[in-house]
Amino acid sequence: MTITVLVVALALCAVVLFYMAVRSRRKQAGRSVRPVDLNAFRALMDRDDELFMKARLSRSKFFHLKRQRIRVVVRYVARIAANASAVLHVGEAARMDPTPEVAYAATQVMELAGHIRIQCLLAITKLVAEYMVPSLQLTPAMLVPKYLTLRENVKRLGALQTQHPAPLATAI
Amino acid sequence: MSLKATIHGLWYAQLVIQVILAIVVIVRKSWRDLPAFSSYILFAASASLALYAIPGSHHSLTYFYAYWISEAGAIVLGLVIVREIFMKLFAPHLALRKLATLIFRVAIILLVAFGCAVMYAQAPGAQGVYKAVMIGEEAVRIVEVGLIMFLFLSSGAFGLHWRQGVFGIALGLGIFTSVELVALAVHLHIGNAAFAAFAIVRLAAFDVSLMVWLGYLLAPERITARAEMPKRAQLEQWNQAVMELISR
Repeated sequence: MTITVLVVALALCAVVLFYMAVRSRRKQAGRSVRPVDLNAFRALMDRDDELFMKARLSRSKFFHLKRQRIRVVVRYVARIAANASAVLHVGEAARMDPTPEVAYAATQVMELAGHIRIQCLLAITKLVAEYMVPSLQLTPAMLVPKYLTLRENVKRLGALQTQHPAPLATAI
Repeated sequence: MSLKATIHGLWYAQLVIQVILAIVVIVRKSWRDLPAFSSYILFAASASLALYAIPGSHHSLTYFYAYWISEAGAIVLGLVIVREIFMKLFAPHLALRKLATLIFRVAIILLVAFGCAVMYAQAPGAQGVYKAVMIGEEAVRIVEVGLIMFLFLSSGAFGLHWRQGVFGIALGLGIFTSVELVALAVHLHIGNAAFAAFAIVRLAAFDVSLMVWLGYLLAPERITARAEMPKRAQLEQWNQAVMELISR
């Protein structure tokens, strides 16, 4: 009986997952790159700020405030992840560009966007851990440099596409 | 409508859709892009036609062997399709492919272990070839459903874009295998009392999957419109923010 319940539960989870995938695919269709305020993002990740609050506030107040900050940081990370995903989507088309430079730049941008997605997953995991145990200090500080490099590479790709007009000339 | 008539109706519908799908696959030469899926469709259509052509009762020994051989072939090809989808999904993403391959292998090991555990737990009650085959099928379906779930979960986690056709194939296969798994588990638990219901649910699920495949194969690929792409000015803003961050 237990096995049957487990197997049926697995199959039902799968059906729910497929439904969610169809829904998210529809939502994804209209998604584009949205701006990220990196200054605010970095300010929220500032450990000095956190230490200052920890020294000045009561334990419960500090935990409450830290959790609030984490919720906001998660939103920023989610936006960066969504942007990286959009870059992956756009890059896929650019990868097929007949101009080798554009195709090469697109491949590089996609690779970096992939790295950022992995970093975002790690960051979210760490943030969840910090949310549950606010005394932990596991800020995803390594995310910003990668995102900056992505921007640089995206810009390079944009410049290449200006030299060789392609369908993605206005893209990234 | 009687249960028998419903089963016949669903079976004939399946036969017709399979033939249409096979024609679409042949006309579009889909095997160049999706060899495993094309093989599956052509194999399934041929098997259905062969089963239809077998003379005599559906309870004959020839039908029994032909049915289970076609089932085994379809299950193996189904697993090959899952691998094909995985390759299609991660082919353009070098950075993600290594990690995804590692997780995919771990998922296979875990699912095979779960499948074996299910077989082991149900083995004492298995009397006769039919039930033993069904338990084996249930174990393989567990692996198949789990791997398809992995594909959807990993694509969501990594933010990957599915091509229209590949998404449709994964969705159709996922729907069929999940429903089949539920039907198998319930059928094994309840016994032959639910045989008609089991047959109807299986046939209906497969019909739905065939329709999903047909729909996604015929629907044109969605092209990313220029309007959806980020503007250059936005990129300049990003760059400025980067410079500010570097100089801090």
